[in-house]
Amino acid sequence: MRTVADSSGDWQKGRRTLARTFAVSVILTILIILTALPAPAAWAQAPFREGAAADTTRALHLLRRATYGVRPQDLAEALDLGSEAWLDRQLSPERIDDSALEERLAIFPAVEMTVSELYEAYPPPQVVRARLGDPDSLSRDEMRRMRRELGIQSPSRILFDLAGAKLVRAVDSERQLEEVMTDFWFNHFNVFFAKGPDRWLIGDYEREAIRPYVFGEFEDMLIATASHPAMLVYLDNWQSQVPDSMNPRAGQQQRARSRFQNMSAREREVVLRMRGVPEEQIARIEEAMKRQSGRERGLNENYARELLELHTLGVDGGYTQDDVIEVARAFTGWTMQLPGRGGGSRANKGMSSDGGASAGEFVFRAEWHDPGEKTVMGRSLPAGRGIEDGLDVLRMLAVHPSTARHLVTKLVQAFVADDPPQALVDELTAVFLETRGDLREVTRALFTSERFYDPANIGGKLKTPFELVASALRVTGAEFGPSRGLGEQLRALDQIPYMSSPPTGYPAESEEWASGAALLQRMNLGLAMATGGIQNVRIPGSLSRQPVDRMLADLLPGSGTAALRDVIETEMRSDFAGLEGALAELRRGAGPNELALGLALGSPEFQHR
Amino acid sequence: MRPINRRIFLKQGAVGLVAIGLPPAFLTRTLLAETRSIGRQKTVVFIFQRGAVDGLNMVVPFEEKAYYRVRRSIAVPQPSRGDGASAIDLDGFFGLHPSLRGLYDLYQEGGLAILHASGSPHPTRSHFDAQDFMESGTPGVKSTRDGWMNRLMTENACSCEGRTLADGAAHSADHASGQVGMAESSPLRGVAMGAEMPRALRGSYPTVAIADLERFGIAGGRSPELESVFERMYRSEEDDLIAGAASDSFEAIELIRRTDPLQYRPRAGVDYPRGDFGRSLQQIAQLIKADVGLEVAFTDIGGWDTHLAQGGAQGQLANRLAELGSGIRAFHDDLGDRIEDVVVVTMSEFGRTAAENGSGGTDHGHGNCMLILGGATAGGRVLGSWPGLEREQLYEGRDLAITTDFRDVFAEVVSGHLGAEKLERVFPGYRVDPSSFAGVLG
Repeated sequence: MRTVADSSGDWQKGRRTLARTFAVSVILTILIILTALPAPAAWAQAPFREGAAADTTRALHLLRRATYGVRPQDLAEALDLGSEAWLDRQLSPERIDDSALEERLAIFPAVEMTVSELYEAYPPPQVVRARLGDPDSLSRDEMRRMRRELGIQSPSRILFDLAGAKLVRAVDSERQLEEVMTDFWFNHFNVFFAKGPDRWLIGDYEREAIRPYVFGEFEDMLIATASHPAMLVYLDNWQSQVPDSMNPRAGQQQRARSRFQNMSAREREVVLRMRGVPEEQIARIEEAMKRQSGRERGLNENYARELLELHTLGVDGGYTQDDVIEVARAFTGWTMQLPGRGGGSRANKGMSSDGGASAGEFVFRAEWHDPGEKTVMGRSLPAGRGIEDGLDVLRMLAVHPSTARHLVTKLVQAFVADDPPQALVDELTAVFLETRGDLREVTRALFTSERFYDPANIGGKLKTPFELVASALRVTGAEFGPSRGLGEQLRALDQIPYMSSPPTGYPAESEEWASGAALLQRMNLGLAMATGGIQNVRIPGSLSRQPVDRMLADLLPGSGTAALRDVIETEMRSDFAGLEGALAELRRGAGPNELALGLALGSPEFQHR
Repeated sequence: MRPINRRIFLKQGAVGLVAIGLPPAFLTRTLLAETRSIGRQKTVVFIFQRGAVDGLNMVVPFEEKAYYRVRRSIAVPQPSRGDGASAIDLDGFFGLHPSLRGLYDLYQEGGLAILHASGSPHPTRSHFDAQDFMESGTPGVKSTRDGWMNRLMTENACSCEGRTLADGAAHSADHASGQVGMAESSPLRGVAMGAEMPRALRGSYPTVAIADLERFGIAGGRSPELESVFERMYRSEEDDLIAGAASDSFEAIELIRRTDPLQYRPRAGVDYPRGDFGRSLQQIAQLIKADVGLEVAFTDIGGWDTHLAQGGAQGQLANRLAELGSGIRAFHDDLGDRIEDVVVVTMSEFGRTAAENGSGGTDHGHGNCMLILGGATAGGRVLGSWPGLEREQLYEGRDLAITTDFRDVFAEVVSGHLGAEKLERVFPGYRVDPSSFAGVLG
């Protein structure tokens, strides 16, 4: 357990686990060295046999792209199993025991809660105000105090837990590839924590719509995201409905309702009174009208456009603006029950057979659906249907050649090179189409292709800020717990998990992360982490107390670090002369060893993967 | 092909120029830099009021009967001399919220213009979408990756008229001989004050987010020695991308160290309001006075989402406006003559409902109000065409309508004050037409 819980026994347990892992890795390393080298005495100079050296290069490249950071024991394991077997194992995560991780995640209670439980435990301000009685008489401070005393948490606390859990998984999960791919696909189908009720939905979204499918069928993931309330909210489809004017079903009743909506509040009041409606009900109706009027009615193309442009075909995938509108029509009525608005809707449940939808669940509203005929990319969807329209569109898009090429290009950009090698894209596109979007096979093909191992692709990707933070925690064996400090670092580095507002998600291209100010922040992160400057993060002193070359071998196993060693050793030899100011600023008992570690973590070598 | 990093391109291009015997711009710049700062530069400062300010109470249409009819508990009273609890008459129709009285002198002197009923044509009432659109500069298009202020800098990277990067050697030689402006060579050309880089400034052109000028650099700026260790490490980096970006950041540090903006303390008698907003404005003023080549500065101020008990002449909104107004006034006074080189523009993602809601606040609306001051502002006027507040005049029957697209305001300011061109690329999909400018710069 890596938590820095101050008093609990968890910490002790953590140390034991760590010690055990360490012991195992030492034994493994020794075994491998013994089998791989002709003479044990030669290992300090590491003159690997040619084959062994090539194996190491390949294994290292694979691990640097398919995990959140390579520790010496990871390299040992991959060499022991062989790269292909290692990959095989990672591609079936359900067969890898990860129970220790589950235990560790318990420190983030929001992670396992259902949408309704979250809404209850982390209610929005208006619910809190209603619970606390007369809101106007309470000052902000009083509200805060009452919240604290009544144990009512702010919704932003959910983000703290989700981001913390994501980091713990990235650092400690044995199912590294699953974590890496969950991040990739979440980002592909990005939703934003701070958009409307998504804060209560986003954890469920990752758990139910992304993670189960990262080694499954792309089509299933596409349908799961399309129908998940988090996506319906994020891209506004939940409000998309057939405009009355275009709806052949819009009958007498609807016209009467819209006439009513066009009256002023005063006129409505008079009408309702004339009809003998009780006063308190009039007030409620007026409230409902107000809520309604703030909402955009009619067709909303937002989801349809991003579905085609980002989720499937790609911007040059061969669709037109007319297709966008037709697809939007196909998805009218795909909506949801808002959290906090009670259960038991009149609407039909489209995708599950049980009774009324409850908070935060998908709902198909037949009366909002455009029943007319539609034509999407030349294919006709007959009139008079319901939810099948949208499902047909998704099934068609999921296996479209443009989709295959678009997704594969993104995968290659994220895992191989910013400028995707065409031959590799072609190779993987063929795999995608042959397997009809089997993501396990596409992933396998990606990491086994000879083109992946092309020397031109080795070491050239810049870690994203999240990858940097995760890898620094992972390779240093840092003990860390829930930490505002880590959150602040990620904020300063511009990549708070779940907080990418545009639907493109966080970029995978190195260039997007390589601004000058961002690099400074990376150097500062390395220094802060190494010198104990981040709350609730502690790196074992045994790491930095080693000679510099040993330390670098732990941080960057198998990599050439001679130049880096020279820079750091020069500083150490000069006793870090002139750096007293830095030490005083950074912290509190940090010495040259910690500074050396900080330089290593802030080095260009450590920024790459 | 992906756009390449502009500054890196300049540098890599420069290496080629050395080979043919011409000193590239950045080398010359480095030489110049030894002796002086970058030079006087025109600057636009954008202030984003995040959360949607209630423009109808910020600048009150006190002659509108409907205003008082639909805002029974939160209306700002009609002007009545000197009581401090009513609107300050601007032109017989509009009045300034009393909390903004610090800006009234500027208005009278002609240094402050007010533009009402402006905003984004997109109907969204989502904070997230509307802020995004105002920063991407492409209302309705969510997939735009970069911000319009970043594109502004990319498309107007130097002041050589009609020249593009493709003109190569001759172009560079002009820079080297010092005949043309050097704006593009400053690593502090686009600066956001705050920990996060706002969407508006994101993109391929290198911009800098500074949480606190006093702590910018390695280890809180306290260790030049450590900086030089890192600099050495990154200089030998083979990855051009990283090496280029690192040199950008060390240049920014170096420029700040050399010009020492922190030496410029606020002028006597100038008092910035306490808090992040006041400090951000003060540090922007310091950068301007230090001539670091700052062209686009960005800062924001929150707390405008007044759904509940927003108050009228006093109360919650009045307090936020007091901070905004006193901050801008302090910034103006602090700059002294240098305000001639600066235009300040306020913006907010949308306005709020014309009518108050059931809890003494206002809900998400549409049209809003912007303040423009400094430089060549044709102030002393409330600009824009006023659509009215009667029910049939309101957008969707509830909000102030929009008569000036926000892109026209931004386009007018950056073309008029900074001389920016290629506005069709700064605001793709929008035809910028000077004849529809509101005339904020006269």
